[in-house]
Amino acid sequence: MRNVPWYQNPTVKRLFGCLALGLVLSLMIGKQQGSRDDYYVGIKKALFGPSILGPRIILFLLVGVGVFFLITYWSRIKPYLGRPGIKPMAIGALGVVMGYVLLKWTDNSRAAADGKLGTLSDAASSTEGLSPIAQTFFTMPVPWILFLVSLIATLIAVILRNRVLGYAAAAICVVAGLWGYLAHGYVQSFLGTPDHSLGSAFQLLAYLTIAGGALVAARSHLEVADTKNFIRRAFAWRPGLFLAAIGSLVGLESLLQATWFSPQGRNATLVDMSALFAGSGLAPVSQQFLRWGAFVLLGAAILVGLVATLGLARKKLGWVAFGVGVVGALLTLLTLYLATGYAASEGFEGATGHWQNLGAGGWLAAMAFVMLAGAGWIVATLDAPVQVEKAERDLMSSDTVGGSVRHIPGMKYALLIAVIAVALFYPPTMTEYWQNVLVSQIGIFVLLAIGLNVVVGWAGLLDLGFIAFYAVGSYTTAWLVGSLPAKPPFTVSPLWAIPVAVIFALIAGVMLGAPTLRLRGDYLAIVTLGFGEIVRIVAVNAESITNSTRGPSPAVPHPAISIGPLQWEWGLNYLQYWYLLLVIMVLVIIGFRRLEDSRLGRAWAAIREDEVAAQATGVNTFRAKLFAFAIGASTSGIAGVFFASQVGYFNPQNFTLEYSILVVAYVVFGGMGSLPGAMAGAAVLTWLPEFLKEQVPAEDRQMWIGAVILLMMIFRPAGLIPATRRETELEGIDEAPRIEPRAVPESESMGATS
Amino acid sequence: MNWLQNLPDYLVLGLTRGSMYALVALGYTLVYGVLQLINFAHSEVFMAGAFGSYLVVSQLAPGEHGFLGASMIVLAGLLTGAIVSALIAWTLELVAYKPLRQRGAPKLAFLISAIGMSFFLVQLFGKLFNRFSGNPFPENYLDKNAPVLELGGVTVTRIQVIIIVAALLTMILLDRIVNGTKLGRSIRAVAEDAPTAALMGINIDRTISRTFLIGGALAGVAGFLFGQAFGFGNTMGFDQGVKAFAAAVLGGIGNLRGAMMGGLLLGIVEAIVPPLPFIGIEWTDVVAFVVLVAILVFRPTGLLGEKLGRAA
Repeated sequence: MRNVPWYQNPTVKRLFGCLALGLVLSLMIGKQQGSRDDYYVGIKKALFGPSILGPRIILFLLVGVGVFFLITYWSRIKPYLGRPGIKPMAIGALGVVMGYVLLKWTDNSRAAADGKLGTLSDAASSTEGLSPIAQTFFTMPVPWILFLVSLIATLIAVILRNRVLGYAAAAICVVAGLWGYLAHGYVQSFLGTPDHSLGSAFQLLAYLTIAGGALVAARSHLEVADTKNFIRRAFAWRPGLFLAAIGSLVGLESLLQATWFSPQGRNATLVDMSALFAGSGLAPVSQQFLRWGAFVLLGAAILVGLVATLGLARKKLGWVAFGVGVVGALLTLLTLYLATGYAASEGFEGATGHWQNLGAGGWLAAMAFVMLAGAGWIVATLDAPVQVEKAERDLMSSDTVGGSVRHIPGMKYALLIAVIAVALFYPPTMTEYWQNVLVSQIGIFVLLAIGLNVVVGWAGLLDLGFIAFYAVGSYTTAWLVGSLPAKPPFTVSPLWAIPVAVIFALIAGVMLGAPTLRLRGDYLAIVTLGFGEIVRIVAVNAESITNSTRGPSPAVPHPAISIGPLQWEWGLNYLQYWYLLLVIMVLVIIGFRRLEDSRLGRAWAAIREDEVAAQATGVNTFRAKLFAFAIGASTSGIAGVFFASQVGYFNPQNFTLEYSILVVAYVVFGGMGSLPGAMAGAAVLTWLPEFLKEQVPAEDRQMWIGAVILLMMIFRPAGLIPATRRETELEGIDEAPRIEPRAVPESESMGATS
Repeated sequence: MNWLQNLPDYLVLGLTRGSMYALVALGYTLVYGVLQLINFAHSEVFMAGAFGSYLVVSQLAPGEHGFLGASMIVLAGLLTGAIVSALIAWTLELVAYKPLRQRGAPKLAFLISAIGMSFFLVQLFGKLFNRFSGNPFPENYLDKNAPVLELGGVTVTRIQVIIIVAALLTMILLDRIVNGTKLGRSIRAVAEDAPTAALMGINIDRTISRTFLIGGALAGVAGFLFGQAFGFGNTMGFDQGVKAFAAAVLGGIGNLRGAMMGGLLLGIVEAIVPPLPFIGIEWTDVVAFVVLVAILVFRPTGLLGEKLGRAA
């Protein structure tokens, strides 16, 4: 080690690495900089261009140096991170800064140009007649002072592990978060417009996280020494508490602050709405519900739900909470339906019909009722003492495999119910733009990721042409409704195209699979990639069949159902498509869940792990792989039908290789072989570009997404939500790192083979 | 029989295109040889080479140049392309592969991290330079379409000669490196059996990153040649990368001679088949992939089989 040249010194290397990081960061920030005439201009500007602190490069090199010191002295810093409460504090602090700097606080572009806290506070502090609470909060250094005070208080509490200080810091944090939240509420009611910005809610959550850290610090003299254990213990004893807590928060929000009814800029909360309909011809049950029913029911649900979940396993109370929640949810929906319908028929100004002109309030109330009912149901049905005892055993013994949140009893159902409630009732509160994103980006790609997960995640076959089946589904639909130059023998409504499209996609899958499935991994990848390209190019070139790049015309009609008295047609409203998609997705997910542990699913797992061994134990590998291909393909085909009938117009550009690659990236990003993982991966990575649109120059989005994917793979190669099976394998008895035999790092090559 | 008359022309065209495919394909195959991974970001390494060489060539090109001067500029372009690409490839390995290797990540994670890197590089270059495709290289120093020799109706242009000669020389150089140097021996050893190679005192990490350097340099050469011939842009890598990857698989991935052969074959097939009267130019890509699928169905490990250690 003595004769190492200076440039191979690890510290020097690290310094250079950090400086390079700074350089790259400085190049990534800012507007589009190159031009056709002057290719250098981008680099020149980034390196030498003037900014607030001289050339940007200096700032970022300083960042690099900071990172360098952080890494170098990590061993000194690390012990402090083990202190109870420090992690939630750090996460929360980051969240508050994000909420203050990055996220929008208002959609109203008249009030503040970009809608972020800085500009909003400029506007708000010069506005007359705003409530003093809001006025104070929006006077500029105040939010930051609040932030610093709560952070420092928490930090002191964490370092001293002082109980009183901990509670005090938690109180400060809660006050700070609520203050910002209420101030935002006042501004919104002052402006009188419905609002979808996330900033204030986000900072509230972040402050609550910090407060959680302070609480952990306050209680750290108890035997519960670290945050994760603390949280796990808190929930392990109380199945359903998680759900009841969220439900209560959502419910309070809906009762106290959210807009329930907003025709033509009227921003009516629940109280306003009940005044609006008082004494009108609205059905009495709804009137009573608006006047006091909502308060009483939600209050009762929250109270009973919390008592039932906090006290251990009060089964009867659980059933009560369940009943109240269900009744409340039904009444809420009924009232929303009746009230909007009545308002429209009586000619309220701006009211346009059933389910129209609603604010977020009613939907949030429904969401809260469903969550509380779910919490009650979990308490009532879970065989709590046994489960809790088991959980306790797991927590006590240090060498168990488990350790993640999902091992908490009832947590699985709680998460499931929460997701369902949000999926059902959150989309109506979103803006039309986001509803469109939800349906035509997130929803469709989640469905595709579910399908590809079968092929890539379960059977371990790398398919880079998955979009081809999606194209087959779309074009089959267009053909069956008669929108293509090639006419079908009979025309049907798009929904009835699903079985045909599934069959066609299945045939395509088998056609591709049968000759190629004996190829191994990477060869299969290139063949599927070629197949995907062939399908797309055929769609472009076969003009007499597919109408080439112009796509189907006339547009594919919207789906419709007409069975006897049941008549329903999907129109332009994205929400309707969302619910259709939700139904499709739920059916597919239920099917796949059952498939995963079936004989076929186990055969896939065997093939994935070791194909030769699987064959030797009697698995018909070819058939199993073909099934994987066919099932994946048909899911993709269903997504194609949905896509075609929702957008109406499409062309071969929608089926490029890039999408195939992206879907693979979604699946791996989320966690290969894990159904929730694949869905989460697709949802996050399709949501991210739309989110980034407002944060960075639009054309740079892919750069940031690339960076996110890269970082994810570096720091969490198993994905967002790793598959249980894989996780268990990795955490299993032998702790030896699983290393690709050809890629053994030098330092480990001696030990790892033993 | 128009097609038959033009066949020699198509052949020359195919040879030029094929030699560029081959250069890029060699990069895929080298990396596959040592890591058993498809380096999905290799197409961006190729793209970076074109940008890098442009920065130098556009500085040197203005003014009058004789034959010697022009040759020097071409040489400078080749060299800078190779250097920039090699550096990018090296960084790529350092950032997107090494950390994953050290964590023992599943194989697909490498693919995805490379895809992430690929997105990142494409858009970063687009941001720093521009997002047009087909930016022209300077041409004044090099009358690229001037005919050099005519043989029985075949016209070979200057740029075609440069491409074929440069590619040929580079491949010979590669052959010498892989077969005649200590580094080459260690690359072959790692490709053959990494743990054993490590036992024999080969530094695997270093060998892998040098393999990336070599593969990158080849792609950089191809990047300059491609840019000079057809123009360059931040998205130029994708199509070329896919084709070159196909070429590498065609010849038997992990096999250097296979990659060269696959590249040339793919280039020639693409040039010869589509102009056939019953096919048509618009089916070029389909032809390429159909040939690929057909060959793989009958020879599942490519034309020449896989081993870098054995066949190189």
